[in-house]
Order: sequence, then structure tokens, then C-alpha cells
Amino acid sequence: MSPLEYVWAGVMAVIAGPVAFEIFGLGISLTVLMVFGGFLLGVVGGATPGLSGPFLMAVSLPILLSIFGFTPDALLPVMGFLVGVMKGATVGGAVPAILFNTPGTPDAMMTTLDGYPMAQKGQAGKALRTAHFASVSGDTFSDLVLFTCAPFLAVIVEAYLGFGEKAALIILSMAFIAAVVGVSPLKGMIAAFLGLFVASIGTGEDFYGRLSLGTDVLAGGVPMIAAVMGVLILGEVLVAFENMWRDRRANVVVKETPQSGDNRLTWKERKGLMPFIGISALVGTVVGALPGIGSTLAATLGYATGDKMHKGPVKFGQGTPEGIAATEAANSAVSGSNLIPVLSLGIPGNVGAVFIILAAESIGGFNPGPTVFRFSASEVNSELVIAFGLFTAMMLANIFNWVIGGRIMAACGFMSRISSQVLLPMVLLLTLTAIYAQETSFTAIYFALAFAVLGYLLRKLRIPTLPFVIAFILAANLENAFRQAFAVSGGDPWFLFKSPLSLVFLALSVAVVIFFSRPKIPETGKAAAKEGKG
Amino acid sequence: MLSRSVEIWLAIFFVVFAGLAVFVWAPLDSETAAIYEFRRQVSIGDAMLPMVAGGGILLFSVAHLMLQLHRQSQAEDQPPFDRATILFFVNFGGVLALSLALMFWAGPLALSLFGPTGDEPVTYRQMRSTFPWKYIGFVLGGFTLVFGLTSLIEGRIRWVRVFSAILTVLALIFIFDVPFDTTLLPPNGDF
Repeated sequence: MSPLEYVWAGVMAVIAGPVAFEIFGLGISLTVLMVFGGFLLGVVGGATPGLSGPFLMAVSLPILLSIFGFTPDALLPVMGFLVGVMKGATVGGAVPAILFNTPGTPDAMMTTLDGYPMAQKGQAGKALRTAHFASVSGDTFSDLVLFTCAPFLAVIVEAYLGFGEKAALIILSMAFIAAVVGVSPLKGMIAAFLGLFVASIGTGEDFYGRLSLGTDVLAGGVPMIAAVMGVLILGEVLVAFENMWRDRRANVVVKETPQSGDNRLTWKERKGLMPFIGISALVGTVVGALPGIGSTLAATLGYATGDKMHKGPVKFGQGTPEGIAATEAANSAVSGSNLIPVLSLGIPGNVGAVFIILAAESIGGFNPGPTVFRFSASEVNSELVIAFGLFTAMMLANIFNWVIGGRIMAACGFMSRISSQVLLPMVLLLTLTAIYAQETSFTAIYFALAFAVLGYLLRKLRIPTLPFVIAFILAANLENAFRQAFAVSGGDPWFLFKSPLSLVFLALSVAVVIFFSRPKIPETGKAAAKEGKG
Repeated sequence: MLSRSVEIWLAIFFVVFAGLAVFVWAPLDSETAAIYEFRRQVSIGDAMLPMVAGGGILLFSVAHLMLQLHRQSQAEDQPPFDRATILFFVNFGGVLALSLALMFWAGPLALSLFGPTGDEPVTYRQMRSTFPWKYIGFVLGGFTLVFGLTSLIEGRIRWVRVFSAILTVLALIFIFDVPFDTTLLPPNGDF
């Protein structure tokens, strides 16, 4: 098959795949329906403070696996749904940020700066339209970059990297994530190695499950979904419970402002926003392609860049559409490009990508990584067809977003009023039920609760959780690369340092940790230093 | 960053944990050593990954300890844990334990008290897919969890929360159980 035929096969796998139902004799594709369903859930969930895209993906996954099973046919509907959720939640997060000054997702924090003042001026509708337009523009741009870059990067990786280099690349990715997430790179590295350690319990090649202390419970290994959901979701829920329990304050009465201003967003205004959207989309795409950095930093950088460009009468932070556009384009542009490391290297760069990998690993038949992009002509590479199907699903989600995303956003305002003290206990039960449905054993619930406590402790001790989770997921790949590189080298203990490329990766790993660990000069210190020079 | 003393204790904990992991737990609790020879072929054994992981924790926790020892003591941050943390976990743990116990045992207990009687005793395993037995544990445990935690956080009991807890449990039954024949609600997979 030629590359174009692979692309077409991917598109057809989505459009003309298994049919969900028929309307007037016209079959509606199951994958298309799932992308739409995921998108709807994502917007509504994103608009609900306390829920987030990754959480929705986490609890959806076991349900989806129950529905579709573990056959390769399940891959596109399940991953399409997750992609829809990811994209929907990004736009939905702006709704409570604009209407109630409460970001629905962390990356919508910067949207409150201009969105809420606009709502207070009676321009909530215009603010929502701006957020939607910027968000979907940034997201579409980022997806196009993903579609063009990921295959090339994967082909290069597959052509030039051996087992040793791949092991060194995984180490570099973990070091980078550990260094840039959280306040202390050293604590990030401790979290990453702790993730590797926990992942090694009950696994390995020998008959005896290592580190199992002779127990059957540990010899079976740590259930991945229970561990990941425990640390990422339940740990966060525990911290939120404690904070609310400590506060136990009366609900803040939301003051409604009558929306009487000009709420339209004309084409001329959209054209005026394009430079801000363009720059922020670029910033978000670059930031998103780097593992671990995430959309919050992208939004901050996009906002800061937009602020420097802005020359309008209303300043940033006082309720200007350009501020919303700069933020939303940047944080939405992350969602496409953060799949670049997933699809080209098999390395998840953020929490959303973790669940895409989990879905692929749970179902089987699709192993995200450089081997996916083998354009074999003699035989059909089904993984490549799935990859292009995934790209098609992403584009479909964008089309849904362009066409109806704005209207759904506007209709989701009421979700922002659900209080966290009601929502979070429901979230806890939903998560535990989802884990049980997957594992069908109370032991998995105990594991999840144990990892919830671990996630709670990590958060309270300001140790980032993302390096832990990503190292936990990558541990098997890393060990496999170690074993194979060692075997290929003929048992050379210096197998990791033999190739110049792996040396470069390892040197970069050390450099990145040292660079981000260097003591930061406080602002007062900088001012004093400047005065001293002057 | 937490206060200097907390960071130092944290680093010491990880140094001790990693030391035990690298030198005691990993080598003694793995079938093959980090590197072993079998039929004249040298291979990486099962102890390698946990030893590398433990070694990494050891290296970076020692570095963290050194940095913290040289760090100047600044205005102390709020401690991460205090008496309120213990009180919270006692309350939260109590509600959670009660909910999980109800979830696990309510169904079998109800069956033994009110189940069909006959010559052959009926086990919960036989009835775990049958209405109403399959829902008893999940409904009671789930309701206690949602209603108990909401009331705990709000500090008062409200009737409206009773309804929202019941609705939550019913919604989850409709999501996870009604559409599927193969999915089991907790605790039915354990019997």
C-alpha cells in the first residue's frame, strides 16, 4: 500500500467502519457516533468545576472496554471517544471561567483574567464566542502539525535508534518531565524512579513475581488502571475533600450580571483576533510537543505573548477578547501536539495522553510508538491504518467543535453551578465502580485506595504525580529496551554509553535536571544586581 | 517548597527507603540477580529494574538532602500535615470503611436472612446476577459513601442529599449494569 492509500484506509475505517444504526437507509458509523458522544461529554464535563478531561477519560475507559471488548475493532470507537472527550473538555473549561470566574479545568485559569471582566460588562456571549473561535482554531492548527510531524519523527526514530538509544530516549523523556513539572526537579526525579520501582512489583521475566514479599496479591503485579486512577484522580479527590472539609464554608452566592452588551462576534472582529490566535497556537503547539509541560504553561506563555502584541484601548486583564483568544488558542493547541511524543515515540507527555496509551494497551493490536509508522508496501500495516483513523477521529471532533461546539458551550453554563461537595463523592463512587467493572475484584479497589493515599501524600509533599505515573507506564518498555540492548551488546556493562546518540540523550537528561534545579534568583535580587551594574 | 525541616525529613525517608530497596529488598526478593549468567550467556535479571529504580531514588534523595541542608531557613510554610489531617482521615476512613463493608457483606447477609429456603442452601455466588440480590450491596454501600461523605463535608444532614445520593447510585447501575450482561457491580465479582 502507498502512503496515500494508508491515509485513505484510515479515513474509511472511521467513516465506513462498523455501523451503529441507520437513518433512512444511511448507516451512521459507530466511530463517528463515539467521537460525537465523547465530544459532548467533554464539553459538559469541562464546564463542570471539579471534573476535567483526563478524569472523564479515566472513568469512561472501563465502561468503553465493557461495551466494546478487547478486539481490534474496539480501538477506533474507544480512542475516538477519548479524543472527543479531550477536545470537548478543552473548550468546555472556558465556560465557568468566563461566567463565574471559576476555571473548569486548570488550563482555563488565564481565561478568567479577561473572560470574567467581559461577563461583568454584560459581554459573556461575546467572550464565550471568542473562547470557542480561538480554541477550535488553535486545536485544528495543532492537529495539522501532529498529522505532518508524527509520521516523520517516527520514521526517523525507527531508522536511526537502536535498543540502547531508545532506552536513553525514555530516560531523557522521564528526566524532562520530572524536571519541568512541579517546583523541584529532584523531587520529580524521585517520583519518576518511585514509579519505576512500583511498576517492577510482581512483574519481570522469572516465574517468581519480584518484590512480592511472597504474597499472591503482589505477585500478580499492580493493576495499572487502579494505580493510575488512584494516583491521578482519587489522590486529587482526597486533597479536595480535605480542603473542603477544612473550609466547610457556606456556598458562595453567584451574583448574576444582566447580559445586555454587544454579544456578537463579527467576521471583522474574528479577523482582528487572528494574529493573537496564530501566535498562541504556535506557542501551544511547540509547548504541547514537549513531554510534561502541559497546557497551563502554554496558556500562560500565550497570554504573555499576546499582552506584548496588544495595542487596543482595553488592556489585557480588564476584559478584552484578545486576552481570551491568546489564552484559549494556546491551551487548546496543546491537545493535538501532545500526541506527537505518544504516536512517534510511545511516550505519553501528559495525563490525557496517558489514557490514550492505556486504552491502546488494554485493547491490544495498537502499540503507540515508532513501529506504528511503517509504510510497508507488501503487506498491510493495520496499526498504521488505526493511526490514520485516529487522525480522522481528531479531525471529526474538530468539525463537531466548529459546527456545534459554541452552542453546546453556551448551553452548559448551568453545569458550573454544581457544587464540589456534591460532585466529588459522586466522582469517588463513579471511579471505584469503574475500576471494579474493569478488574472485578475488591482487591483492585484496595489497590486504588492505597494509590489514592500515595497520590494524596505526593501532592501534600509537593512531589509531582505525573512523573510517577509516566514512569510507571513506561517501565516495561524501558526494561525491555535495557534487556535487548544488553543482549545485543554481548553483555557489555557499558551498553548504554556505547553509541554517541545515546550518550547525547543521557547527557541531555543530566543537563535538563541540573538546568531546572539551579537556584532561581528572586526578583529583588535581580533588581539589586541590575542596580549594582548600573 | 515545603519548610526546610520537612524537606530534610522527606529526603531522609527516601534515602532509607531506597537504601533498603537497593541493598535488601530487590536482591533478596527477586529470582535472578541484576546480571546473571545462564548457559554461558550473560543477561539482565529481574533484580535490575528495581535496583536501578532504587538507585535513582537514592541518588536524587541524597542530592535533595544536600541541597536542603545548605538551604537557608526562611519563613516557615504551613506544615503539610497537622492534627486536623488525622481527624479528617479518621472521619473519612470511617465513612469509607463502613461503605465498603456494607457493599461487600450486605448482599450475602440479606441472602442468608431473607433468601429462598430449601433442602439445598443457596449461595450468593448462585444469586449474584439475580435481582434484587446483585444490587443490595452496591446500593447500600454506594448510598452510604455518597451521602456520608457529602454530609461529612457539609457538616450537616440534608434531605436533598439523600435524593442526590440515591440518584447517583441508580445512575451508576444504569451505566454499568443494565446495558451489559458481562459486567459485574461490586462486590459480585468476588463471589
